[in-house]
Amino acid sequence: MTSDAQGFPRRDRRIPAAPPDALPPADRHTEPILDHPVDGDSLYQLRASVAAHAVLAGLSPRKADDLVIAAHELAANVVLHGSGHGRLRIWLCDSTLHCRVTDDGSEPRKDSAETVRSGEEPGSPDPSSWPIEPGHGLWLIRQLADDLSVRRAQGGGSDVTVSFSFTSPDGTDGTRPAVS
Amino acid sequence: MARVTVSSDAQITELAVNDHACLTFGEPDELIDLTAAFVRDGLNGGLKVIWLSDSGPTQAVTELARRGIAVEAALAVGQMAALACENYLLSGQSFAAGQAMIWLIEQMAASKNEGYSGLRVALDMSWALRPIAGVEQLPDFEENVGKVLTDPTVSVLCQYDRERFDPVTLASVTTLHTKSVAASTYCANAVLRICRQYAPPGIRLAGEIDLHAEEALSLALAEALRLDGDITVSMAGLSFIDVTCMRLIVNLAKSIPAPRKVILQCQPKVANRFATFGVTEVSSISLEIVDDQ
Repeated sequence: MTSDAQGFPRRDRRIPAAPPDALPPADRHTEPILDHPVDGDSLYQLRASVAAHAVLAGLSPRKADDLVIAAHELAANVVLHGSGHGRLRIWLCDSTLHCRVTDDGSEPRKDSAETVRSGEEPGSPDPSSWPIEPGHGLWLIRQLADDLSVRRAQGGGSDVTVSFSFTSPDGTDGTRPAVS
Repeated sequence: MARVTVSSDAQITELAVNDHACLTFGEPDELIDLTAAFVRDGLNGGLKVIWLSDSGPTQAVTELARRGIAVEAALAVGQMAALACENYLLSGQSFAAGQAMIWLIEQMAASKNEGYSGLRVALDMSWALRPIAGVEQLPDFEENVGKVLTDPTVSVLCQYDRERFDPVTLASVTTLHTKSVAASTYCANAVLRICRQYAPPGIRLAGEIDLHAEEALSLALAEALRLDGDITVSMAGLSFIDVTCMRLIVNLAKSIPAPRKVILQCQPKVANRFATFGVTEVSSISLEIVDDQ
C-alpha cells in the first residue's frame, strides 16, 4: 500500500477495463446466493440482506461490514445518479465473494457525479480541500474491496462488481487496519 | 422526501426559575443528556441542584461527569445532591403525596438556609412504573408541586419515560406542568433517530443513517453549528453511516472556524469509516472511539 500526495493510504490497483465475459466467472457457472432489487425504498433491507448473506457465507465480520457499505454505495449510485432501479446479486466462487450491482436504465442522469468508466480511477478525498465533493463513494469502495470492476451492461445500463476474497495473501483479514 | 419538522416542546436550556416542567424522554441517553444540561445550568447559576434518579446515585454521578459536568466538586460542597427516589420521594415501596410534598418543601427551605439563591429539583418518575403502593396519588403530587412553586427561586423538572408510561397517565400529568420539555428531534423512525444533544452540545445519531436522512441531518448540523464552542456528534448508538452523511459531517467540521472543533464519537467500525475518509488529517475534527451502547 502506498500514499498519495496528501498522505492518503491507497492501493496500487486501477479499475480493470475488463471484457464483459470476464466479470465475474461465478455467474456463468452458479446461481447467485442473493438477488435483491435496488431502489430508493429498499436500501435498509438491502443492507440487512447483504450482511446476513455475507456472514452466512463465512466472510469475516470486518469484511462483511466493508461489503455492506460497498453494496450500499453502489446501490445509492443507481438511486441517485442512475436510472433509480436495478438489482444486486452476490455469487460465491472458490474463495471469493462477488457482489454485482446492475443499473437497469439506459439513460443515466446527466448530473451523475459518480459515473465511472472502465479504466478510470475515482479521485481520492483531499483532507485539505473543502468541501468534499460527491464521487467519494467509489473511492471508498476501492479502498475496501479486493477488486472492483465496471462494465457497460447489455441494454445500456451498467454493471459494477466488487469482490472480496475470504483470505488475503498475507493471511490477515485483508482490510484496512483499525483506528488505534 | 417528507419535510423535516422539529418538535415544538421547550428546550431544556429555556427553563425559567419557577417552572414546573415535564420532561419526556425516549431512551436513557436522552434522559441523562437533558438532565445534565439542567444540572449544569443550575450549578453555573449558583443554585442548589437535587436529582432523584431511578438508576441510583452512583451511576447518575458517573453519567453526569462523563458529560463534562463538574459534579464531584458540587457534591463535595453540598451544592448538589444525587439521591435515589426510595429514601426521599418514597417511603420504602410506598408513595404518599403529602409526605413527598413535605420532603420537597423541606428541601426548598434548606437551600435557602444554606444561602443558595435558588433550587433546581429533577425527579425521575420511573418509580411509578413499578408496583408502588399509593401510585394513584401521583397526579395529586404533581398538582401540589405546581401550587408551591409560586416561590420564584425554585424549579422542578419531572421526568417521564414516554415509551413506558401509558398515554393516559402521560396526558393527565403533563397538563399539570407549566412547560413540556423534550430533546429537539429531527428524525425518529424505526431505523434512525437524530436529536439535539445538550451536554455536551451537539447532536446524537442512533440506528442506521443513509442518504434518506440527508435533509434532517443537514438541519441538525446547521442548528448545532449555531451553538457556541465545540460540537459533539454522538454516534455511539449508530451502526451504519453512508458516504453521503459522512460527507455532510466532515464538511461541517471543515467549515467551523478555529479554534472550535467537531468531536466525532463513534463505535470502532464507524470510526474506521471516518478514518478511511481522511478525518484524522483534519485539524478541526477529533475522532473518539466509544463502546456500543
